[in-house]
Amino acid sequence: MSETGAREFESLDGMPSAAAEGLHCLLWALADTKLLLGFHYGEWTFGTPELEAAVASCSLSQSELGHVRLLHAILKKHWNGDPDAIIESRPAAAFANTAYLDQPVDGWPAFVAMNAVVDLAATRVLASLRGSAFKPLRMSVDKMLDEERHHAHHGRGWFRTLGRRGGADAEQLATATGRALGAVAVWLGPPDDPADRALTEAGIRRESSFAVFTALSEDLRQLAAEAGVAMPTAVPVAFAGWNPRTRRNVGARGPADDILFHLRGEANAMFRLGE
Amino acid sequence: MAVLPVYEVFARAKHDEPLRHVGSVNAADDELAKAYAWTLYDEESWIEMCVVRREAIVPITEHGKVPVWGN
Repeated sequence: MSETGAREFESLDGMPSAAAEGLHCLLWALADTKLLLGFHYGEWTFGTPELEAAVASCSLSQSELGHVRLLHAILKKHWNGDPDAIIESRPAAAFANTAYLDQPVDGWPAFVAMNAVVDLAATRVLASLRGSAFKPLRMSVDKMLDEERHHAHHGRGWFRTLGRRGGADAEQLATATGRALGAVAVWLGPPDDPADRALTEAGIRRESSFAVFTALSEDLRQLAAEAGVAMPTAVPVAFAGWNPRTRRNVGARGPADDILFHLRGEANAMFRLGE
Repeated sequence: MAVLPVYEVFARAKHDEPLRHVGSVNAADDELAKAYAWTLYDEESWIEMCVVRREAIVPITEHGKVPVWGN
């Protein structure tokens, strides 16, 4: 029995098909979000307000990419997903990352919102998988959560720092935070998502995405109050033709071409080993 | 420009060794100091790491001065 009291699964054998499909989509979304987080953190190794933040950003990038590797290994073993193809050959619109990461992160307040909201949302989704009935995930989840503590410290620390400064810094942070929270709400999905319900019923998740969003909103409300940042009282969220595979509404484009070009290393493709 | 507080960083890599001073970081608050210390001083797999604000340290000897009674 798992910590959630449900039957354990060593593989997908015997797992209800709705739960298996929901888990596939969720892991894919986590991997894509972490891939894009890793890219943006990596880019912000330079340009941070202080040297310590540059080192921290570089380190956050490394750990996100390490998590992508762990998640891709699970996707490869249980769904036969080729990690190279996942990154190299999917069209932009197939990426299931949080839409906040689709465009360049255009300033330090936007970076802090990414760290404090988007990264924390992914971490809260991971936390909802602790003690999962899907055994291959358990050890990886605990390792990832252990490393994510430092991401959370960095995000909260900078959120408070910009909030205490007030003025334009705090205003830009509030705007970026509202934008990030809106994107995360869509990424987490509608409250009545059947795949999400199948995952909680099978004991693969202990909390639904809606519960994750509620907890995340409360985290941010407390942090904003402490930091003196004026948060939007309600984030308008619309689900129009929401696709559980991409966790986006119909018509969404995915990451910008320029970001995918750099992320895939297309300029250096000819140097790949074995090609 | 505001001067950021200095935090001294202490860590140990094994249970049977004492905490030792490994460096310092400048940070606006305790949480940032934790993140900076963990990411900056990552040369070992520390089993324990902590930070303390330099201003919270109570000196016993004057800086750089050997006590008059020796050792």
